[in-house]
Amino acid sequence: MGLAAVGAAATLALAACGGGSSSSSTGGTATGFNAAVNSVVNPSSHKSSGTLNFASSAAIPDSTDPGNTYYAQMWNLTRLYAMPLTTFKSCPGPCGLQVVPMLATGLGVVSNNGLTWTYHIKPNVHFEDGTLVTSQDVKYAVERTFDRAKFPLGPNYYAGLLAPQNATCAKSMAAGKTTGCYPGPYVDRSKNLMGLNAVQTPNSTTIVFHLAKPFADFNYVTAIPQSAPVPPAKDTGANYQLHPVSTGPYMFQSYQINKQLTMVPNPHWNAATDPNAKQLVSKIVLTFNVNPNDVDNRLLAGDIQVDLPGTGVQAAARTKILTTPSLKAQSDNPVSGFEWFMTLNNKVPPLNNIHCRIAIEYAANKTNNQTAYGGPYAGGDIASTAAPPNVVGQKHFDLYEATTKSQGDLTKAKQQLQACGQPNGFTTGITYRSDRPKESAVAQAMQAALARVGIKLTLHGFPTASYTSNFAGVPNYVHAHGIGIATYGWAPDWPDGYGEFYFIADGHAISPVGNTNLGELNDPVVNTLLGKFATETNASVRNSYTSQVDMQIMKDAAFLPIVYAKALLYRSPQLTNVYVQAYYGMYNYAVLGLK
Amino acid sequence: MAAPLEMTPESPAPEAILEGVSGEAIEGRSLGQIAWIRLKRDKVAIGSGIFILFLLLVAIFGPYLVQDPTVYHSNLINPTLSTPYGRFGGVSLAHPLGVEPVSGRDMLSRVVNGARVSMLIAVLATALAVTIGVVMGIISGYFGGWVDAVIARSMDVFLAFPLLVFAIALVGVIPSSAFGLSGNSLRIGLLIFVIGFFAWPYMGRIIRGQTLSLREREFVDAARSLGARGPYVLFRELLPNLVAPILVYSTLLIPTNILFEAALSYLGVGIIPPTPSWGGMISDAVNNGFFNIDPMYMIIPGLAIFLTVMAFNLFGDGLRDALDPRSGR
Repeated sequence: MGLAAVGAAATLALAACGGGSSSSSTGGTATGFNAAVNSVVNPSSHKSSGTLNFASSAAIPDSTDPGNTYYAQMWNLTRLYAMPLTTFKSCPGPCGLQVVPMLATGLGVVSNNGLTWTYHIKPNVHFEDGTLVTSQDVKYAVERTFDRAKFPLGPNYYAGLLAPQNATCAKSMAAGKTTGCYPGPYVDRSKNLMGLNAVQTPNSTTIVFHLAKPFADFNYVTAIPQSAPVPPAKDTGANYQLHPVSTGPYMFQSYQINKQLTMVPNPHWNAATDPNAKQLVSKIVLTFNVNPNDVDNRLLAGDIQVDLPGTGVQAAARTKILTTPSLKAQSDNPVSGFEWFMTLNNKVPPLNNIHCRIAIEYAANKTNNQTAYGGPYAGGDIASTAAPPNVVGQKHFDLYEATTKSQGDLTKAKQQLQACGQPNGFTTGITYRSDRPKESAVAQAMQAALARVGIKLTLHGFPTASYTSNFAGVPNYVHAHGIGIATYGWAPDWPDGYGEFYFIADGHAISPVGNTNLGELNDPVVNTLLGKFATETNASVRNSYTSQVDMQIMKDAAFLPIVYAKALLYRSPQLTNVYVQAYYGMYNYAVLGLK
Repeated sequence: MAAPLEMTPESPAPEAILEGVSGEAIEGRSLGQIAWIRLKRDKVAIGSGIFILFLLLVAIFGPYLVQDPTVYHSNLINPTLSTPYGRFGGVSLAHPLGVEPVSGRDMLSRVVNGARVSMLIAVLATALAVTIGVVMGIISGYFGGWVDAVIARSMDVFLAFPLLVFAIALVGVIPSSAFGLSGNSLRIGLLIFVIGFFAWPYMGRIIRGQTLSLREREFVDAARSLGARGPYVLFRELLPNLVAPILVYSTLLIPTNILFEAALSYLGVGIIPPTPSWGGMISDAVNNGFFNIDPMYMIIPGLAIFLTVMAFNLFGDGLRDALDPRSGR
């Protein structure tokens, strides 16, 4: 698969992306706890002269350059100043998982046996300086993503999916290299910077992508902000992040990295061409590196309106919100799009015997695992499937009593140990990211739970930065140290079965370094079903694949699901048009206004 | 010989003896005896000494008396907030210091077991530092010349070393089993080595300075003129005269090392969970934000570190005053 090369990038930013829908049903009343999960709170078209304030306890996690970012908060934020070809529809509830055209007039039209994707772009969209957006600007934005030295942080889908630049490139790609391939517009200055052969612009409103292999999910790839147009004359390379030329409702006024970003309305933005965003305030200010508890306090006091990362309030504010009914009514608890889980490695004895893996499924104390992640509000609901509920096509099932006997079923665990030929238990290891307190807590909870049936678990904590590059993601290391369990989490880049499962469960995704399929699952049933996603376009058939893959993974006892991650968000009463966009699992930043 | 020991602390005699007023008792007292008498009158130092003794007893025998520090009591934890039910971190008869958030593990047993780990690392690391420091310092001071130049410069290098960064890197790259050790015994050994190996120059500098002045003294000249060679002079003539600074600075090095171990555990490169350590507990409290909603979880290990470090420091101060009255109070 061409996408294998993308694996490393995807792991770097697990916070990449995700969606959310809620199991709660608050109905049509747009007030109260979880009101903004399935409906719009304070719908309004009032134009305010006020300032919308965002704050973050960190800096921008990667970049404000739409071509160089891989975080859900940034993909959400870029819609204020960038228009990719497609996007996720701005609407509450499951509707927000739907991919719709943004800069394009319609979704991509596929031809040539799935190898050619054609988009027509809106003829009347302008940059902030009044210049008309053309298909060449989109092609240039795609070309930029080929320069991984300048832009290493964004996803790397185009280089893997598009047809190779030439025969040399095709040969080297087969060997996992990029020799002879298109190097990006900073190195290849030919053809007036339009040197990428796989993307053609027959006229100023048409752009054609030629793929190496059919890939039915291509509309999701163009929904990544990387397809937002960049005018070649205004591109400043790595410094473009300081002032990306806006096509959205707002544009950069000033930006000091790690300190503050100020945006003002873009005079050349036209609401008619961009139904997924709104221009309702006179200024947007984002402040970075604020103390995390201070962010919460300011949010509760009304000094700021939005906590940019959208991952939920800190423990102190959480306690305050959950124990104060008036504050709880002003909060939402959507699923974030992440699922936290453990992989049970079928290549590490004795877990190569399925009964030993099932024994772990039964022996785990799912309630304690949930508490380790922060409980039902900050952690999430106990998971029983490998895909979270916001993946389109996911169906609920529970093979190992995760939700019905959440403390674990020791009798069944012992029966499985018997069947595995290890009646007195065995010893294996578990990896976790030692700088993540929740993962350290869950590893210790597993150790205590498995000890109940005689399974001795040794803990192997590693720093996040080298987790997949040196330890858990290096099968040789894992085998040599007899580590059967790995703690991990995943949010798909797009919410379907392929986006969810390819990197974490397809046998083709196993790689000797930087592996993301930590359980080394190589089940032909799973591989075949995931392979069919490339050409299958019928939505209901694709959805059935998703649930079949999920079921097969759990039958293999390859995953031990922990929680469908949730975040407790405080909904500032000053905001209008507030709702959780299921795809991002946080408030939709593109449409916010002020009272 | 027995005479001075019979003296009661409230007796005014020791001062008089030191001043040399009472002639007959003078030759009966060794330096150690005089120091012991002075130390006994320092109530703060004695109190600290008793506390240290108590701490050592807790570290050695405590873990056998308290419950298992790794057992979960999930029923004592509020699942919504992850914090213990009840006041002061869930204080009860069964858990006199309360329980840990998230897991409900007994705090008393975690603090007591943490004492063992902290003391083990601090004491052994100090022993290592003192051994290296004394040997290097005494050689450097006595022989002088190029030997001194090499050793003194290497001390400077060690002192300038970004130790914390180095320790984090080292613990990160060492595999989960090496040198015939694995898991926590490897980690403890590694921490002892790192802390001890980089703390020796402090001791080395002091010993070097003392040796420099001692080697010019008459008794050293006398020993040399009688034919004594290097090792004999070093270990028979000089070393006994260095016991006082060694003892004092060892006592002061221990609390530094306790804090350093806590700092490493706080940064996540200390002891591997679920083995408790004081620094690890504080780290957990801070990183999970529990210090805001369950302050006892941070206060208890924090207090343990505070009291231990203070006791060692006060005792060390008292010991220095007792052994070396010239340093003044």
